[in-house]
Amino acid sequence: MGKIYFDNNATTRLDARVFEEMLPFLRDNYGNPSSLHSFGREARRALDNARCNAANLIGAEPDEIVFTSGGTEADNQAIMGIADLIGSPGGRIITSAIEHQAVLNSCRHLQKRGFSTTFLPVDYEGRIKPADLEDTLGGDVILVSIMYANNETGSIQPVEEAAAIARSRGAIFHCDAVQAAGRIRIDVRKLGVDLLSLSSHKINGPKGSGALFVRRGIQAPVLLHGGHHEQRRRAGTENVASIVGFGEACRLAGQRLDETAGNCRMLRDRLEKAIMEEVQPAIINGSRENRLPNTLNVSFPGVDGQFLAINLDLMGIAVSTGSACHAESREPSYVLKAMGRSDDEASSCIRFSLGGENTVDEVDAVILALKEFVGSLRTA
Amino acid sequence: MRQGGGRVVAAMSGGVDSTVAAALLVREGREVIGVTLQLQSCDEATTERSCCSAAATSRAGAVADSLGIPHYVLDFRKEFENEVLRHTWSEYSRGRTPNPCVICNERIKFGLLHDFARSVGAGTIATGHYARIENRRGSVSLLRGVFGPKDQSYFLFSVADSRLSSVVFPVGSLSKDRVRAISKELGFVEKALESQDACFAVKGKSYSEILRRRFDAHAIPGDFIGPGMAVVGSHDGIHKFTVGQGRKLGIALGERCWVKSIDPETGSVYITTDSADLLSRGLTASIVKWSGGGIDGALECSVQVRYRQAPVRARIEHQGQGLVRVEFQNPIRAVAPGQAAVFYDGDRVLGGGWIESSF
Repeated sequence: MGKIYFDNNATTRLDARVFEEMLPFLRDNYGNPSSLHSFGREARRALDNARCNAANLIGAEPDEIVFTSGGTEADNQAIMGIADLIGSPGGRIITSAIEHQAVLNSCRHLQKRGFSTTFLPVDYEGRIKPADLEDTLGGDVILVSIMYANNETGSIQPVEEAAAIARSRGAIFHCDAVQAAGRIRIDVRKLGVDLLSLSSHKINGPKGSGALFVRRGIQAPVLLHGGHHEQRRRAGTENVASIVGFGEACRLAGQRLDETAGNCRMLRDRLEKAIMEEVQPAIINGSRENRLPNTLNVSFPGVDGQFLAINLDLMGIAVSTGSACHAESREPSYVLKAMGRSDDEASSCIRFSLGGENTVDEVDAVILALKEFVGSLRTA
Repeated sequence: MRQGGGRVVAAMSGGVDSTVAAALLVREGREVIGVTLQLQSCDEATTERSCCSAAATSRAGAVADSLGIPHYVLDFRKEFENEVLRHTWSEYSRGRTPNPCVICNERIKFGLLHDFARSVGAGTIATGHYARIENRRGSVSLLRGVFGPKDQSYFLFSVADSRLSSVVFPVGSLSKDRVRAISKELGFVEKALESQDACFAVKGKSYSEILRRRFDAHAIPGDFIGPGMAVVGSHDGIHKFTVGQGRKLGIALGERCWVKSIDPETGSVYITTDSADLLSRGLTASIVKWSGGGIDGALECSVQVRYRQAPVRARIEHQGQGLVRVEFQNPIRAVAPGQAAVFYDGDRVLGGGWIESSF
């Protein structure tokens, strides 16, 4: 068997059809979408098409999509941009303790600029409680930012309830949906969000593009100032090839969503069942009911997660010890710590994140490897 | 069962010695796994020469890539803090002169890294130390590196034999020039830097004071006691001084002076203006490791009380309770409690311990 890739929450393989769509824009169609000539028009058309596809994936209108360089920029634009619109510091931002670092560190940056921040706690399953938001939400709050699904545990947050609470008090609501897109159905109208972040490379698109959904009727937050690109909402010549790929990836993700989710869920459940029955003791980190179908985060108490991940890598099995953004740190995951896990439980965790291409044979090979390594690392 | 009897874990700091060590093993056809230890946070005040700097780590990764071997960064920051830094501070706080490199080798490089190697089915670990291992008739000996000026056996004396038996030092039988030449052959001359054992270098700062702040510990202030038991000044912490120190004392006696001894009970730092006062005829040490057979009565060998000190012939006498009394044939200057006394028979390390006192 070749190498096995179970780290799709870190990034995904570029889909072959996406690659085909991108090729002309890497080679021959080099026009600037802002140009008036035929070269420019061709690029503009491709961009418009991508915008429709991205909008369709989340039930939005095309003019509500602002292309960015990725999820991190979209998060930064939402948070920094809203703070800029408010102008004078002193307002408060509410977010959760388990957000991606793009959100957490944007909020921390704003703290230095005089804004205050409330980090909502999560329960044992890694979910915020809407009541906590309700309790802390006052008139001073300018923005609430809650992720759709957590990257480490896959736990899905009660976004719809949270957004309703925020809007009833007049606060803007942002949702980082980078991990949820393509894995569960997203409908921005039903959710009632004002802003929502997407990333291309998590849904088999290329790296270097993403989008911020900006609901019609709200003033758009801006991060990059310059030309009039993206309706003055994001300056800089568009990364056309990457955005074209992102658009195609959105189209395919929407089309295949049920199939992909079904396959991932079947494989994930098979892996989870085998671990719980044959690699005990093991603790599932994350909600059993409200979880992305592709994500399984398990602690193997007494085992060093980093050592286990390296052993698996040497066998050609790619997993992660948490977030890829700080994979080299053995600091216990802040997400798992926020869920009340002990240091030992948090530093003994492995995240398996599946994709549409994974197979039953791969799952069975991973189970075999786990049985061998977890046992020997425990006795070591 | 686990595969890979020939698998070897190579510690790679990004420096020239460990680079060449790993490259030589790859050349031999061994299956090498490159590992860089992250011992301190990148944002802590370590210098570029420190093996823990982010630049060194990425250099090690680049070297591993060009050798075509996997490379991992192992995060041992917590263990380094608890096992090495706390111990180091505890020694400073008692007016002693610690040797963190010895502790780091014993507990981290040849402790935790050894555990990691076992966990990935590697029977061997390799580092870029200048020392040699001799496995003969089921017993293992640590020998000096062939290239005298770089010999690092002093820092390795306390590594347990059970660990040493699975260690290789590929550059231990080479000269520094030869190592540089191999590095150049491999095309690493630009990338590689000197980096070994520089974890504790902090530019322009007193390391003991940094540790004191890190652990939020109390300093033990006291007096400088000069010739004739006269109080000649005061200081704000014994941790800032080491036996034999002759600079940055913070007092002016009008002539050169040195720290002769430190009393942690009273906080007194004894100062002498006569450099002959720094000479000792011998020491007592608590033995950490002894592999040269039992010490029955007395034994003649040579002793080194610090890195790069020319070994001195000595007579060792066992005193019970893990203590030995060592009499030097020729006096040694500035024997500092807390430093290691390492005993040699020629190139062979017989054992060693921590210096408790001198006489």
